[in-house]
Amino acid sequence: MALTTTAPPEVPEGAGAPVVAPVERRDRPLTMLSLVVANIWAKKARSTGIAFAVALAVMTVVTLTVVSSGLETAASAVLTVGKADFTVAQNGVSDLLYSNIDTGQLARIGATPGVKSSVGVLLETEKINAANPLFIEIGIQPSDLTTFGVTVVAGRAYGATAPNEVMLGWRAAQNLGLHVGDRFYANGTSNKVVGIFSTGISYGDSAAMFPLPALQAYNRVPGSVSLVFVKIAPGHSSASVQKTLTRDQPELTTISTLAQAGRADRNLVFLKAAVTGSTILALVIGAIVVGNTMLLSLFERTREFGLLRAIGWGRRRVVWLVVSESLSLAVVGSLLGVAFSFVVTTVLEALPQLHGVLHSNFTTSAFGRGLAVGIGMAVLGSLYPSVRAANLTPLKALSNE
Amino acid sequence: MSDPTRREPVADRPKIETHDVTKVYADGRVHALTGVDLQVMPGEFVAVTGPSGCGKSTLLGLLAALDAPTSGTIRVGSYELDRLHDANQFRRQEVGLVFQFHNLLPRLSALHNVEIAMLGSARPHGDRTGFAMGLLDDVGLAHLADRRPPQLSGGERQRVAVARALANEPSVLYADEPTGSLDSRSTEVVLELFQNLRSERGVTIVMVTHDEAVAATADRTVHMVDGRIAPLGDAGIASPVSAGPLIGA
Repeated sequence: MALTTTAPPEVPEGAGAPVVAPVERRDRPLTMLSLVVANIWAKKARSTGIAFAVALAVMTVVTLTVVSSGLETAASAVLTVGKADFTVAQNGVSDLLYSNIDTGQLARIGATPGVKSSVGVLLETEKINAANPLFIEIGIQPSDLTTFGVTVVAGRAYGATAPNEVMLGWRAAQNLGLHVGDRFYANGTSNKVVGIFSTGISYGDSAAMFPLPALQAYNRVPGSVSLVFVKIAPGHSSASVQKTLTRDQPELTTISTLAQAGRADRNLVFLKAAVTGSTILALVIGAIVVGNTMLLSLFERTREFGLLRAIGWGRRRVVWLVVSESLSLAVVGSLLGVAFSFVVTTVLEALPQLHGVLHSNFTTSAFGRGLAVGIGMAVLGSLYPSVRAANLTPLKALSNE
Repeated sequence: MSDPTRREPVADRPKIETHDVTKVYADGRVHALTGVDLQVMPGEFVAVTGPSGCGKSTLLGLLAALDAPTSGTIRVGSYELDRLHDANQFRRQEVGLVFQFHNLLPRLSALHNVEIAMLGSARPHGDRTGFAMGLLDDVGLAHLADRRPPQLSGGERQRVAVARALANEPSVLYADEPTGSLDSRSTEVVLELFQNLRSERGVTIVMVTHDEAVAATADRTVHMVDGRIAPLGDAGIASPVSAGPLIGA
């Protein structure tokens, strides 16, 4: 029933403002979500600021995660080239490439019960050109190529002691534009490309292979190899062989999963620690920024929160409103952060100093970590302001000027 | 418009009843209310008047459970306010509030400003918009439902605030200086709304005002001085006063 009214039509305040024609009706019901959107939209500059702060933090975290993951993959990729049951490296070196296993150790590895075959390889890197600042070179005896999982797809394998002969992985040959018979300049010498090989693994196929003695000589490490790729004899357990091997030679470590690569490569451990530290730092700084901005917003909206409490909104609903606003901005900020991260890593990859070194690895876990940081910032940052808003005394809040 | 029949209580038991209510602030230095005894019958429209700082708004805040008395008891309907488990629920279900400054959210349309009071209420989600539109229609503003407060006049905003106060169909309406910032024409409109709420819906209304002419539109006036109800006929149940000529003249 309409209330009886004799009210004449009113004119909006202002200098003789005419009665405005009715605007188009939009009977969309008010929901918490639409209220959150309206509140965010009403303070565009502030909302943009919060979303941008979240985006920067998420970008930092995702970029670091993606880069570290890429570096980890690159560092660990050599472990997978040999198609072995496990790999042996020197224990505790800062970089797998610095691992040094001598002839005696290599012989003892081969003599360990349960070991079917052991292939020692020397790994080196060299700047071939600006596009290949860390080109991987593998020294391996030609007799071990098959065991190592190498298939010669063009030309032939190099001789065991042949000087200045090299095989290129098919990806490397393609990238360098070389074919069988061409010359490949490396280690200060001109080498004849005698064959093209395939390992079925991207990093292996992007490398060059030299006779082991030749690469040892080029790098002045006679008798040394970096890694030993071990295959287990049937009927033996990989775990028990690894245990025996590391017990007998504690200066060595075994790696059978990428996760274990940190045992031999301290850089990976430091890198992961740096990423974790950066994530925590980003979370804390971001939460402070979000919290500070939300608190400012709270002071401006004191009367509003007082009103909501006065008309019967419970504390939990007020908390949920504030947290929802923050969370919505966090989701937008996180998406922006991932987009920024994509741009940043693309730019980093293209830098001459990092070209060929940095391989960004956008994984689900990187996105998950970024989203977790964004949401964590929002929740932590809005917790205090929301509780404070919920605990406002309605009367005091409503009298706030 | 004053109607002698409206002054009669519609039930024997008061809708609102306070007993010896005091409110003390600032560690006992400020006595905002002292020994207030008040009874308001169901469907009655009572104006509370008095000079600034006499405790009118404090009393209204206590009646709405926006604050708690230092001592004394307050009952509103079946709610004993000193034993309330959930003051929010009480305000949501039983009370409508209208303030001097409408306190509408400027970013929401008039319709959504009414609907916001229903968020969390028992009313089915699908019914809320229609009901809010009905309330705006009741206050003569259905055609402005999509307007935001800055696009409305002062009187229109206050009528939206009245519609919001009625969103959960309260049995009691508290209004704190509802016409304090309105021009005379808008004041007439709002007071007429109150009169009609009382007469057509039986809503019990307590209105705080310092304006004697506005107070005169109520069924009776309670005058406060220095935190006490001034004797005016029977204490707390003041004699009816004649409604002024503000509306319906």
